[in-house]
Amino acid sequence: MGLESSADDPVPVRTVSRSLGEWIGRLGAIWMEGQIAEFRPRKGMRFQYFTLRDTDVEMSLSIRADAAVLGKLDPPLAEGQRIIVHARPDFYAARGSLSMLAREIRPVGLGTLLAELARLRDLLTAEGLFAPERKRSLPFLPRRVGLICGRNSAAMQDVLANARDRWPSVDFEVREVPVQGPQAVSAVTSALTELDSLPGVDVIIVTRGGGSVEDLLPFSNETLVRAAAACTTPIVSAIGHEQDAPLLDLVADLRASTPTDAAKRVVPSLTEQAALIDGLHERALRVLTHRIDSDAQTIEHRLARARGVVLSRLDAAANDVMHLAARVRSLSPAATLERGYAIVLTEDGGIVRDSDSVAADALLDIRLAEGRMTARREG
Amino acid sequence: MASTPTDATPIEQLSYEQARDELAGIVSTLEAGGLTLEDSLALWERGEALAGHCRTWLEAARTRIADVEDDDSDD
Repeated sequence: MGLESSADDPVPVRTVSRSLGEWIGRLGAIWMEGQIAEFRPRKGMRFQYFTLRDTDVEMSLSIRADAAVLGKLDPPLAEGQRIIVHARPDFYAARGSLSMLAREIRPVGLGTLLAELARLRDLLTAEGLFAPERKRSLPFLPRRVGLICGRNSAAMQDVLANARDRWPSVDFEVREVPVQGPQAVSAVTSALTELDSLPGVDVIIVTRGGGSVEDLLPFSNETLVRAAAACTTPIVSAIGHEQDAPLLDLVADLRASTPTDAAKRVVPSLTEQAALIDGLHERALRVLTHRIDSDAQTIEHRLARARGVVLSRLDAAANDVMHLAARVRSLSPAATLERGYAIVLTEDGGIVRDSDSVAADALLDIRLAEGRMTARREG
Repeated sequence: MASTPTDATPIEQLSYEQARDELAGIVSTLEAGGLTLEDSLALWERGEALAGHCRTWLEAARTRIADVEDDDSDD
């Protein structure tokens, strides 16, 4: 149903514009959902314009609305609001510009948003996106830490300061992105995918400070959550305050309560590890010295016992010798000598029993009870 | 049996066990009796010498241990 045309038989602009207007018109009036990206009210003008952006992707439409239509809104229209609009396409042929003419605008109330979020949560849970088995464990010491956070946000400072405090040489790959409003979903999603593809990045932290439910909504957005689920790099989610629980928390591999907590979970503490090692080292030393002490003691005991045995053996031996010596003495002539007798021996040791057997002048050896002496025969 | 006095080994060369065994031998020889006075006199003297040798050896052993114990208490 396109227009016939060729280089030789071109079609005038008016024909193209009219055709466009006709085709566009066929869309008719529809209900659309989106988020107000830009809205600058123009005082006193009947028609106001604002940009309605898709909730998930980088696509927007210009909306034209009669002041009367806007007047009904309470709270009045404001940037960042989620709304649903009943509008029909309005092609301004003169300049070939398209905008949607809004007939009715309804804010998407918090209740609707939360209901929508709950429905999404059940859907993703059923799909097993939040299943514990999918959770990846964090590396003990990541080469580089991916960090997705608000531009120069306190959350960013917390993560950087605490991580560097624990592990001074930690290396970061920071992506400062809008963390609320219409751009948040696509910005965070593309940062996630990009960091996930970087080889050196071993863990990614997604963090932002506290905020309203609307502010945190992007972190429960289906596109963003599915992108997080698709990442192979472990993700740490630290969104909002303790009690906030965006869907990103459920799909992340680890939920940290605060940016500081995230930093603590991602890098080990150098001082703690050093202390741990010192502790182990000391325990090892203690075990060793204890072991040596007890061995030494055992040796001391054994030595003492050995000495005891030897000394008692010596005593017993001394007794034996004493007895033997006493025996020898009692069995020998000593007893007779003690009674005053003496034994006379010749020089060659023979005992003299007959004076005739001793020549005159012969040298004699006389044994007494105590000691001995020599004598020479006179008579 | 006790070696006869004439070819007895000089006592200083005897180990403590040898000296003590010889002494024990002398006692049993004397106990057997029937010895000439010379023999019993000779055995008696050797016995005395052997006993002296044993006592000296035992005393030396005791001293060696005492020395070591002193070293222990020093360190």
